[in-house]
Amino acid sequence: MSGLSFDVEAGEVFGFLGPNGAGKTTTVKLLTGLLRPDEGSCSVFGFSPAQKPCEVHRLCGVMTEGAKMYGQMTGTENLIFFGQAFGMKDEDCRDRARGLLKKLDLWDARDRKLRAYSTGMAQRLSLARALMNRPRALFLDEPTSGLDPESAREVNTMIADLARAEDVTVFLCTHQLRYAQDVCSRYGILEKGSLLAYGTLEAISRDAGLHTRASLRLREGDSPAGFERGGDGWWYADVLSEDEMPKLIREAVTGGHEIYEARLIRPTLEDVYFKYVSLNGGKQP
Amino acid sequence: MPSQAERAVIKKDFLEIWDSRMARGTVLAVPLVLVVALPIVFLVMINTVPPSGMNGVDQMMRLLPAQARGLSPRQGMMYLMTDLLFPAFFLMIPLMASSVAAASSFVGEKERGTLPTLLLTPMSVKRIFHAKTLGCVLLSAIVTAISFVVFAVIVSVGDILLGLPFFLNWSWLALILFLTPAVTVFGVVFMVMVSARSKSYVESVQTSGYLVLPIVLALIGQLAGLFRLSAWFLLVAAAAVWAADALLWALSGRSFTPEKLLR
Repeated sequence: MSGLSFDVEAGEVFGFLGPNGAGKTTTVKLLTGLLRPDEGSCSVFGFSPAQKPCEVHRLCGVMTEGAKMYGQMTGTENLIFFGQAFGMKDEDCRDRARGLLKKLDLWDARDRKLRAYSTGMAQRLSLARALMNRPRALFLDEPTSGLDPESAREVNTMIADLARAEDVTVFLCTHQLRYAQDVCSRYGILEKGSLLAYGTLEAISRDAGLHTRASLRLREGDSPAGFERGGDGWWYADVLSEDEMPKLIREAVTGGHEIYEARLIRPTLEDVYFKYVSLNGGKQP
Repeated sequence: MPSQAERAVIKKDFLEIWDSRMARGTVLAVPLVLVVALPIVFLVMINTVPPSGMNGVDQMMRLLPAQARGLSPRQGMMYLMTDLLFPAFFLMIPLMASSVAAASSFVGEKERGTLPTLLLTPMSVKRIFHAKTLGCVLLSAIVTAISFVVFAVIVSVGDILLGLPFFLNWSWLALILFLTPAVTVFGVVFMVMVSARSKSYVESVQTSGYLVLPIVLALIGQLAGLFRLSAWFLLVAAAAVWAADALLWALSGRSFTPEKLLR
């Protein structure tokens, strides 16, 4: 990692994006005390993960691809074991495990050994394990990797629901940009250990030189001033904010143009991500 | 007294060893062969085969110490088995049990990818290390204790049948009370050291085979009449192994860090 500096606000879902090998997992390891930084520092709820890993672990739930659970134990036994390892009382462990197994749709498989679980079920159980100690923050490193689209969607929806219901701060490393755009409030884009962009989608889009665009579909042969014609036959113009849209439409109508359709096109996270990656010499999709 | 979290880790490790056919097989088979099957086979042979029908009885009788010179060939054979052969067999039990338990607990956990998950709990790395070490020592101690009771019963039956006094002498006491616990701990700490370099459970168990070498050499030396290990020697050996335990414990504790374990 090099010159990495960012903060995540309490209660937000922060999307940490970047290609493979960018340093996302390393960042999670640094933030959860599994790695010590050579220089610099990080702090989670005021605790240094390198100095006070136990305090950080007590407050956080971590779900990463590398953190597996015990195949010879059932789903319930796994959750109870990790609850006990978190110092929870037996009764509390059982109650919490029961609740999470039901919530994550694993109740029917609760007494089955983990090694008999499908990948999707095992991922959901890992999520349940990360939530066992009622964490104030969740670190999720590619929580849907290896899942088929349906299971991935299911897990994604659960993470969003749980984050809302349990009121936890979520640090989400993902490749799924469309999903990240739906659930995250701010983002960090990482490449080769450096943070390329950091902030809300609006802010990072602006910094990348991507603007919101007004687009109009007019009668064939019509050409409004200030607009450029796109390859799809629509007319496009950059706007600084959506507040400009009513004025543009009004001017087009008063200028005698017949508007069949009008759209405001905001840059997607995918647009922003690939713009940054390509600016940094990475591959375009 | 271990905390609830440490007890959970110990229990989980026990179940994990029991669940692994290889680990369970080794932990059960080694004592069954060394202190049940072999003593029974020797006992039956001594009682049924006439001494004149066995080769090398005269040479073996020459290995008898001065206080056992008046024994009959059958009695002498039993005395030698109990005094020279079985202690070496017996010592392999804590060594194998503790190293197999530690291989499963440390290397197996790393191999199965469950170690990072354990390191992400609020248990400190030191606590996890202590819980795992304690679990392995405990398991080995239980296996060794049960093995000794079974072995004592079998050998006592043999002694009664052959009219020999109770087998437990100073050497056996030094072996059971001092050398066995030291060897148990050695098996565990050695395996923790190995686990830092070992990638798989099988590889680490194979490495533990080297630990048996000193026992085999001691056995061969005694059977060849080169030397005889007295109770004093066993006490000194126990002290040396305890010293090695302390050194390896300190070294392995230092190498038990998340960064080294997850490399």
